Amino acid sequence: MAWDYSEKTKQLFMDAVQGRPGTHLGEIKDADGVGEHGSIACGDALRFTFRVLRHETDPLRDVIVEARYLTFGCTSAIAASEALCAIIEQGSFTPIHALQITNADIVKYLEGLPTQKIHCSVMGAEALEAAVFNWAGRRGVDLRKLGIDIEPHEQAEGRVVCKCFSITEPYLRRKIKELNLKTISDITSAIKAGGACSSCHHAPGGLQDILNEEWGTQASPAPATPRADAGKPVAAETPGVLSPFQFFKKVESVLKEYVRPMLQRDGGDLELVDIKEQTVYCRLEGACAGCVGASMTLKMMVEQTLKDRVDERIRVISV
Amino acid sequence: MKTIYLDNNATTAVAPEVYDAMQPYLKDLFFNPSSGYEQAQPAARAVSQSRQAVARFLGATPPEILFTSCATESNNAAILGVLRANPARRHIITTQVEHPAVLEVCKDLARQGVEVTYLPVDSSGRLDVRDFVRALRPDTLLVSVMHANNETGVIFPIEQLSRITKETDPSILFHTDATQTAGKIPLDMRSGLPAVDLLSFSGHKLHGPKGVGALYVRKGTPWRPYLIGGHQESGRRAGTENVPFIVALARAVELARERMDDEQRVRKLRDHLEKTLLANIPWLEVNGAGAARLPNTLNISCHFIEGEGILYQLSAKGICASSGSACTSGSLEPSHVLRAMKVPFTAVHGSVRFSLSRYTTNEEVERVIEEFPAIVRNLRNLSPYWDTSRDQPRSDPSQIIG
Repeated sequence: MAWDYSEKTKQLFMDAVQGRPGTHLGEIKDADGVGEHGSIACGDALRFTFRVLRHETDPLRDVIVEARYLTFGCTSAIAASEALCAIIEQGSFTPIHALQITNADIVKYLEGLPTQKIHCSVMGAEALEAAVFNWAGRRGVDLRKLGIDIEPHEQAEGRVVCKCFSITEPYLRRKIKELNLKTISDITSAIKAGGACSSCHHAPGGLQDILNEEWGTQASPAPATPRADAGKPVAAETPGVLSPFQFFKKVESVLKEYVRPMLQRDGGDLELVDIKEQTVYCRLEGACAGCVGASMTLKMMVEQTLKDRVDERIRVISV
Repeated sequence: MKTIYLDNNATTAVAPEVYDAMQPYLKDLFFNPSSGYEQAQPAARAVSQSRQAVARFLGATPPEILFTSCATESNNAAILGVLRANPARRHIITTQVEHPAVLEVCKDLARQGVEVTYLPVDSSGRLDVRDFVRALRPDTLLVSVMHANNETGVIFPIEQLSRITKETDPSILFHTDATQTAGKIPLDMRSGLPAVDLLSFSGHKLHGPKGVGALYVRKGTPWRPYLIGGHQESGRRAGTENVPFIVALARAVELARERMDDEQRVRKLRDHLEKTLLANIPWLEVNGAGAARLPNTLNISCHFIEGEGILYQLSAKGICASSGSACTSGSLEPSHVLRAMKVPFTAVHGSVRFSLSRYTTNEEVERVIEEFPAIVRNLRNLSPYWDTSRDQPRSDPSQIIG
């Protein structure tokens, strides 16, 4: 694809490949932090090194003074690496503080990246994180004590499923089983995959397909609603000991006794349209129908009354 | 004889600005946007800028826009893609008055074991939201309701229906075929239609060319691609991008956005046409009267006569319109929309649809007002149901109609 890069991205790339002063191509000898991300098999790889000004007594007060990268990748991968190094050197970050730099900061520095190239910015942030972990090891800093998650970012070679975070199919399959990940959002929260552009979610061979293959189609995620278990006998769904018929009668009588008189005082009324398990569909009529606060009325007044008098689980939807 | 084109719900004239915008990409800038060399950059940039333009038009983000070949493709892709991504659910809600590009897909799915609820409409062509609520089920996968009907112009309350859908169960997906509303009423996926997951429209209904459409897929929607075999459109619609037509679509939506105010003038013209015809011709009825309607559409039934004869005479006068009559449809079936509205057969066959555009002039509408009464009279003179001498139906009309 011929990419539509920002001027900033093009400039950083041209500066880097021509080795202009102020660029960051290279590797620091005896670096204080070394981090890598990606692999040649994935088409992108980044080796990131930094040097700190060591604080005499407190490693947490080390300050990063120099950053360098070696990048195998495209225009935007190289520009993103330049951006990462520039952000770090300009900011006089401590390594811990540097962990707050995200791929979004890199994209911002580049004045935008095409969606399909967002993964290049992610690579920079991931390599930085790895380098900080490396620094912590060398300096005897316990990141866990600081509340930082240091789950190692292992890589397995294979087809890349999530391009944004360079996550491969073998790695995904292993993590799905190890961590018992059942849904796409489980995967995203555990290992980031699918968390950026989301185009791998339902692509052929994408996250949902892999989930289906690992768990069988039957185990595909239950819809995230209280009504997902609709296959159960109806009695189990109804509140307390009420049958669906009794539940309906009770809702109807509460509406009649407490709710409708209040509305009628203002020249309005309420129609009970339907009840599906604990969801009650109502329609405001008369003077209330055109009222701006109508749905607010339903939500606040009708729902609360039904919750108090019939069942705590009741939801009211205005139709 | 000058042509008076009043069939803009069928297709529209390509705007001169659109024609100009697409020319370079048919000729000098023929490159494949996927090619890496510098020469192909303008083609790639044109696709990317077009995507931004369509995104702006819809209040969406560029990655949410897919370019397709037409609204029919967009509709097929929306429905089938949702079904394939969510195999656990097997119930679809749609309406009896959808365009065939949705209705026939649903009917075909029903043959394959998917359950489909077809919502009815009242005699004005309106949906009852209560029917909709009652149709929602725990295993409902998709709601697909058109934004406005192509035959009557009746607008459905998509904002309300999609909100109720998501409040009931956020996993139910909502699709709307906005082919007739895009360019006629403002669409905004952020503030206007925040609960709509998928939206289809095409270029040739808003003064773009035929052969290009768009599908909006809200970010994160569980949906699988329909055309597979290429990285284009982020792998969600394979096939080399139709650059000139994509550019044309973008120009067309930009123009529509700039000229949305024209729709007020179109509405006035339509209202004038409607009022005058009703005043001058007996036994005329507006289909969809009483409902919220598109500003450009007038669907009228002329009782006791057949639509094809009306269209033929109109066309002899240079006026292009369409009809729900069986004789004018490829299938020889009368309009399923008017039948769903329980318009009597005698009136379905005599239905005529005038659909205006921003290029329609006062003079053109006046010409129709001038010609139409004689056209109706000519046919009624021949009709066995009409007593010409008294200018009224021959016997008790209630015996005939129905």
